[in-house]
Amino acid sequence: MTEPAFDVQLSLVAEAAGMGKIYRRGAEEIHALREISVAFAPGEFTCVLGPSGAGKTTLLNLLGVMDVPTSGALRVAGTTIADAGRVRLAEGGRDRLRRENIGFIFTEFFLLPTLTAVENVQLPLLWAEKDDHSYAVELLERVGLGHRLTHRPTEMSGGEMQRVAIARALINRPRLLLADEPTGNVDTKTRDGIFDLFRELNADGLTIVLATHDGELAARIDRVIHLREGRIVEGA
Amino acid sequence: MSFWRLALRNLTQRKVRTGLTVLSIAVAVAVLYTLLSFNKGYSASLEQQLQQMGVHILVVPPGCPFEAASLLLKGGKPPTYLKESVVREIAATPGIQIAAPGFMSAIMHDDRTDIYYGMDQRTITLKNWWTLKAGGKWFTDDQTDGVVLGSDAAVTELVINEQTDPFAPGEELWVPELNRPLKILGILEPTGTQDDGFFYVPMTVAQQIFQQPGKVTTVAIRLEDPAQAGVIGTQLEKLEGVEVITMSELLGTQQRMMESAKLLVFAIVFIAIAISAIGVLNTVLMSVFERTREIGVMRATGAGKQHIFSLIWLETLLMTAIGGVIGLGVAIVGSGLMERAVVAGLASVKFMTMSEHSQLATFDPRIVVMTLLFVLGIGLVAGVYPAIRASRQEPIEALRTE
Ligand SMILES: Nc1ncnc2c1ncn2[C@@H]1O[C@H](COP(=O)(O)OP(=O)(O)OP(=O)(O)O)[C@@H](O)[C@H]1O
Ligand SMILES: [Mg+2]
Repeated sequence: MTEPAFDVQLSLVAEAAGMGKIYRRGAEEIHALREISVAFAPGEFTCVLGPSGAGKTTLLNLLGVMDVPTSGALRVAGTTIADAGRVRLAEGGRDRLRRENIGFIFTEFFLLPTLTAVENVQLPLLWAEKDDHSYAVELLERVGLGHRLTHRPTEMSGGEMQRVAIARALINRPRLLLADEPTGNVDTKTRDGIFDLFRELNADGLTIVLATHDGELAARIDRVIHLREGRIVEGA
Repeated sequence: MSFWRLALRNLTQRKVRTGLTVLSIAVAVAVLYTLLSFNKGYSASLEQQLQQMGVHILVVPPGCPFEAASLLLKGGKPPTYLKESVVREIAATPGIQIAAPGFMSAIMHDDRTDIYYGMDQRTITLKNWWTLKAGGKWFTDDQTDGVVLGSDAAVTELVINEQTDPFAPGEELWVPELNRPLKILGILEPTGTQDDGFFYVPMTVAQQIFQQPGKVTTVAIRLEDPAQAGVIGTQLEKLEGVEVITMSELLGTQQRMMESAKLLVFAIVFIAIAISAIGVLNTVLMSVFERTREIGVMRATGAGKQHIFSLIWLETLLMTAIGGVIGLGVAIVGSGLMERAVVAGLASVKFMTMSEHSQLATFDPRIVVMTLLFVLGIGLVAGVYPAIRASRQEPIEALRTE
């Protein structure tokens, strides 16, 4: 393997080196991730595959700077989050980095029940003190929900809610889309529809990391990282 | 989307709970506003009363409480009396313009208390602001018949006699204690003071009713120079069997009595406000706990701690502001009704609040602003703790909660 050029390294969307995460619960220590070294290049579509408890959510939370590693190094969107196990970016900076570069998608959609579809999509802009109604509408049209703009979550199907959540994750034009088991709550037909949407977004150049324990889904993704008991056992 | 809209949506999501909290704030604010207005009106009326008095010194029997009227209202009799001869001695003191003797005492009935006020020409001269309703006239000093009714006293008599027409001069008032009627000579125009509640009779008639010939209960004194009240007061104290009260002392006592009654009422209002503030805190805190995951999602989509803090704080502020505006609106519109309720609550000082005709609650924009600022202050304070709790929630923990 050739040494990658320096500028290529810098342009990586996210990169972990020897990264570990230990959860402490009283005296108990849970090693959720151990010595993770992995990089995500722009435009890549990566699947993190592993059984329950393997550390998939933990990894995505670290990549999305929702949490910080307890050892090793992590860079996201050109910013050093942690180095040699020490946190280098304060919480306010991490919030901002997430606000500007990350899009999150969850199994249970997590839409705000009081807001309509288009308002849910606009929500992340609120934290940036921006407003872009037309882009929110455009994104909802893009995910096939142009006719559901003013519907509330309770008036939508699971598949529709997940599409709204995807539009919400895209509103800040993220460099990295993190999807944690996004099809865990929908039937296989809806799952395929949503997966096709991810495909299209990736074809447009979006970097995606999708965590799942669904081997069938993983088989359709080019790059698969196998995670087991907090370690990458294949595909780094 | 804006913070305002998001906060409003969150509040309307839980209509009943938000509504009840807003209601409790509204009630507290309405009562606070009414009390503040009432208080201001009362002070104004007290000052006006003092100015009107034109009485600078009162001479009373020793041991007589400052507030003879309160004693009488409760059915008491003056413990001791002044001799009529004292009046002459007082009148002879230099610097005194008028020394007007009065005999005030009360007769208790089951449902009311009649207060008689025996007097002569000198009281009429002293109280030169008194006017009689058309057709009325005062009794003369040598008359042994005749009564003039205070305006409230006239109304009370009307009700008791089941009459609808106002009393007209020439009608008669039966006095059981005298076993004869007194001719009604006139009715006093409302003065806005306790004077409205009395029956005015010639001095000898009053002494007859209470069987105290040659005695009086007060001597009201007007000085040539009010500034001399202290000096002349000291001089009068040397007379035998008298107690001297200067008006500034009397006013001070009235104010002190009012202060302590007010203090109690304000204490109750502040407790009510504290309870509604805790209610607000509890409502918001509950909604914060219920929305743990929502807050986690907000953090995941880029919200910082400061955003979560602002949102929760804004929700609290909105809730108290809405309650405050509703409460103020109700209090201003229904100020008449509220005043009556408060007056009933302040029954112990009612006799000092003068006639029922006087309006005590005055509209003052400064009080509106003060009340609003106060309620916003409560919102700000009550919102801080829930807002801190919400902003301190760890986002990944928040998302893991079921
Ligand atoms: N906040 C936490 N505190 C303590 N332990 C945690 C915490 N979050 C995760 N863990 C533990 O870390 C390990 C990895 O958890 P993680 O949620 O990353 O797994 P996962 O691969 O996402 O599993 P699943 O497929 O069930 O979602 C598990 O043993 C889990 O119990
Ligand atoms: Mg998981």
